[in-house]
Amino acid sequence: MLSFIGRRLLQAMFVLLIISFVSFMIQDKMGDPVRQMVGQSVTLEQREALQQELGLNDPMLIQYGRFLGRAIQGDLGTSYYYKEPTIDVIASRLPATLELSFAALVLVILLAIPLGVFAAIHPKNLLSRAVLLFSTLGLSVPIFIVAVFLMYFFAIEWGILPSFGRGETTSVFGLWQSGLFNRDGLRHLLLPSLSLAFVLTPIFIRLIRAEMTDVLQSDYIRYAWAKGISAPRIYFIHALKNTMLPVITVGGIQLGTLVAYTILTESIFQWPGMGLLFMDAVTRVDVPLISTYLIFVGVIFVVTNTLVDVVYSLVNPRVRIPGYS
Amino acid sequence: MLRRLLIILCLGLSSMMCLAVDLRVALDADPISLDPHEQLSEGGIQYSHAVFDPLVRWRQDGTFEPRLATSWEVQDERTLRLHLRQDVRFHSGNPLTAEDVLFTIERLKSSIDFKALFNVVQDVDKIDDYTVDIHTNHAYPLLLNILAYVFVVDKTFYEGRSEIVKFGQTFASTNVSGSGPFTVRDRVVGQRLTLVRNPDYWDTQSVGNVEQLELLPIRSDSTRLAALLTGGVDVISPVAPIDIVRVQRTPNVKLLALTGTRIVMLQMNQARRVEFQDIRVRRAMNLAVNQALIVEKILRGYGEPAGQLSSAAFLGHVSDLVPQSDLERARELMKEAGYQDGFRVTMMAPNNRYMSDERVALAASAMLAKINIQVDLKTFPKAQYFQFFDQQAADIMMLGWQSDTFDSNNIYEFVLACRDTDTGMGAYNAGRVCDRKLDDAIVLANQEMDVAQRVALLRGIEMRAVDQAWVIPLYWQPIIWASKQHVDLESVVNFLNFPYWGDLHVSVP
Amino acid sequence: MNVLHRPPVQGNSERVTRMRHVLVAMRGDKLALFALLIFAFYCLVALLAPLLAPYDVNSTEFMNLENAELAPAWQTGDTRFLLGTDTQGRDLLSVILHGTRLSLTIGVCAVLIQVFLGVGIGLLSGYMGGRLDAFLMRVADIQLSFSTMMVAIVVLAVFQTLFGHAAYQQLAMLMLIIVLGVAEWPIFARTVRACVFAEKEKEYIDAARILGVSKARIMLRHLLPNTVSPILVILTIQIANAIVAEAALSFLGLGMPPNQPSLGALISSGFNYLFSGAWWISVFPSVTLILMIFVMNLLGDWLRDHLNPQVTRG
Repeated sequence: MLSFIGRRLLQAMFVLLIISFVSFMIQDKMGDPVRQMVGQSVTLEQREALQQELGLNDPMLIQYGRFLGRAIQGDLGTSYYYKEPTIDVIASRLPATLELSFAALVLVILLAIPLGVFAAIHPKNLLSRAVLLFSTLGLSVPIFIVAVFLMYFFAIEWGILPSFGRGETTSVFGLWQSGLFNRDGLRHLLLPSLSLAFVLTPIFIRLIRAEMTDVLQSDYIRYAWAKGISAPRIYFIHALKNTMLPVITVGGIQLGTLVAYTILTESIFQWPGMGLLFMDAVTRVDVPLISTYLIFVGVIFVVTNTLVDVVYSLVNPRVRIPGYS
Repeated sequence: MLRRLLIILCLGLSSMMCLAVDLRVALDADPISLDPHEQLSEGGIQYSHAVFDPLVRWRQDGTFEPRLATSWEVQDERTLRLHLRQDVRFHSGNPLTAEDVLFTIERLKSSIDFKALFNVVQDVDKIDDYTVDIHTNHAYPLLLNILAYVFVVDKTFYEGRSEIVKFGQTFASTNVSGSGPFTVRDRVVGQRLTLVRNPDYWDTQSVGNVEQLELLPIRSDSTRLAALLTGGVDVISPVAPIDIVRVQRTPNVKLLALTGTRIVMLQMNQARRVEFQDIRVRRAMNLAVNQALIVEKILRGYGEPAGQLSSAAFLGHVSDLVPQSDLERARELMKEAGYQDGFRVTMMAPNNRYMSDERVALAASAMLAKINIQVDLKTFPKAQYFQFFDQQAADIMMLGWQSDTFDSNNIYEFVLACRDTDTGMGAYNAGRVCDRKLDDAIVLANQEMDVAQRVALLRGIEMRAVDQAWVIPLYWQPIIWASKQHVDLESVVNFLNFPYWGDLHVSVP
Repeated sequence: MNVLHRPPVQGNSERVTRMRHVLVAMRGDKLALFALLIFAFYCLVALLAPLLAPYDVNSTEFMNLENAELAPAWQTGDTRFLLGTDTQGRDLLSVILHGTRLSLTIGVCAVLIQVFLGVGIGLLSGYMGGRLDAFLMRVADIQLSFSTMMVAIVVLAVFQTLFGHAAYQQLAMLMLIIVLGVAEWPIFARTVRACVFAEKEKEYIDAARILGVSKARIMLRHLLPNTVSPILVILTIQIANAIVAEAALSFLGLGMPPNQPSLGALISSGFNYLFSGAWWISVFPSVTLILMIFVMNLLGDWLRDHLNPQVTRG
């Protein structure tokens, strides 16, 4: 186990190295950061002087070497726009995104598990057919359409919920600005997390139903029926447990989708999280911030995928993950 | 606590201006720094007007209003004497004197962004504590225009730690002492800037009654509009033309639209395409593009179709030069030039820089197709677009130019003058136009003190540019704000798009 | 239905029976039949768009600002434009027909690349395991961290240096297919790998190995069929994602040129019109897209249920 995690860590470092390298190589394709920071009448000469000062004129490999040297000391650079270490900037926006994703996930779990299981147990039931049809429909609607419609009706037409921002936040232990502990913050959270949940729930309903259906056909469940084990016990202990394996895997994979969706949702609702930060950074060609964001997302991917692999083998001991025994 | 006290006090006085209100304003961008001299951008100057005071400022009619300078007189051709207001204190408590003005102008001369404007100032002499003489390198007719950018900073507060660094934290980028109507309470970069009224503000005549002003950057047009419609904010700008109908349909919200001075144009690169060297082709292209239709359909009738570069507010404006569009004549010209079968060109435009820029570019390309010029249009976000613009990567480029001095000559200098990397002239001349006689006239117009002669010079340049059809002017971009009914926005927003928030009166329902 | 008794024979005859089984079952399920018909209709429309469209989209007269934002024919009585016109004065019906053609081509081709790469890598990774697996999965991590946008920027830069700006218009579609195809293969790869992990420990694979069946054959004949079900589940989602991602890219100057709008680009630009009252500009393309994805998802579901060798019904 330990050597497995150690090896994964080593691999993770390698992944991050490559991510940082590629993000360095493409940065001059994203625009000129100096151009974004100066007025229109600043001469080409002065702009070049600024680029020189930032070291943007050095060969890419030298710039990259310099970046690595600092990164080893824990300095991933300073944001051009925020003028603070990029890690701090991302850390300050992290709570907003985490809370949004968390709220969405809670909604997804609350909806997807009961509905998915129900649809699998009673495939002929009218309700489960409706659930399936609606989940298929939900799957077909792009997230920005959902978000814009939710905003249009709930915020503008009916004026029930706020349309942008995070509202009031309370400080938790001085470390975390949270919107979960007051009414205003929760009200602001509702629309963005609903939009996220709306597109994620159908995926999970379908997955759970599909896997559960397969599991219910398997021999050991038939055997369990034959043995006379009670229905709830079969459904929720024996079947659901085995259903969760692929669901967790795919859930881990869908994390990428979640990251992409948070970028869209946050932009639409002006939610001050990492996704919005990233979009702004791209607009402003804030290269250090873009690189750090990519590295950060890379870390998240590596960590969750490692976790998924571990959980995978815990849930299903028959599966051997290479290197982990 | 203090604010509640103040309100109680005000209620006692029952004076109209004392009914303090809080105002939330959503804009498309926020100032990049608290340092007023760090960036010359619309957002930066809007912020400066709230927290600092300029020596003079523009009135809505285009004349200058005394602010920190109470009066001024011309000493000689190269010297202007300014008398300063004597009762002004900075937020730090320090009194404002001539020393601060000297310090500020020196600082502006060293600021990368403001350098180009203030190079013309040779030095500033202190006559006494409240009088200064400004000496210029040559006779300079636009001195007041640039003095409107002198937002005086507190010398005692900043001295010794006043460096301006574009890419890094400085003392001045996070600490402020201005003399303006608001002080900075709180800034969360990229999320909000909270300003509160300066209780000791010298301008007691101001009807402004905004106690707390919150500036929020909301980049997406729809989200910004939604914020106003849901009551989350009180004022927004800009409003996308397509959303205007919605604003007008909403009962307690109003629209404020002004004709701006930013000229949006297409530049035809003569160095890349021989076809564009033929004046008949350029004229045909000018005739093929229907500016009025673009303004009517895409800008919803807001904005002003342009047949020249200078807007009506500028001295170079020639009222006879109205946009022409005549497809028949354009086709004839193409035939005369031997291009009746047309040719294929590339065109680039930004998609998030100017109002509806991509749609305008697409419409213009369709209009050019009608005289058989096939346009391969490509649009980019501004970050990448201006890189391509500098490289002149396509045959036709879109540019929207806002004159920093609010004078025609600035447009000519940057867009029409021959490219010169030493002086910076012609830096945005993506048409590669070069006419030495025109350059001479531009230099002359920068030194001509006689108004009538200067007007003649500028109009001469304008008419020559239109006659040669060097660029295709499209329209002057409108300035569009929307607010709740009870906000008296009309009296503080001007054609420069620098609202004077300090003077904003909000009636309390 | 007694067709369900599959003969225990490997090879062609089994496949034939399975296909027949699918067809027979299809006739019995009205919803699936309906979805199939609509999908066929979409494919037909995509193929015949230039013939069906009331206007020639390449004509110089097609984009005429004079006609901008006309409401649908039943509101205005103007029979020239059945579904109204967009902001540029283009006939919305013609634009949607062509947009469907573009989007469907881009979406399907891109996902085919994803499936090809993803399934191949997933099978290798899952079955071979070890270092190869570790290496391939880390490559997948890297790939996933770079959003589609980043891949697009790189590919665009390469294309520009290779072909220049002028050629962009001709190559835009090819470029987009490659970008979207390359950007999201890990989703398939990971799913397939997970399936293979679960499957390869089963007795029949062990048996095949002992009998000396080649690795390639085990992967293709024994493991691959078991991955069909999850692949189908994500396949249709991915097509939808590809179509929407293409729209997001067009904003970055990386999508289709603005004078050849895809369905996604129509929707995202149409969304600015939600507040303006010109509802048809956003509603028609959105409905077209949603319906298309919906029937694809229905078919995917249905196919999944009937192709899965594990599921026996009756």
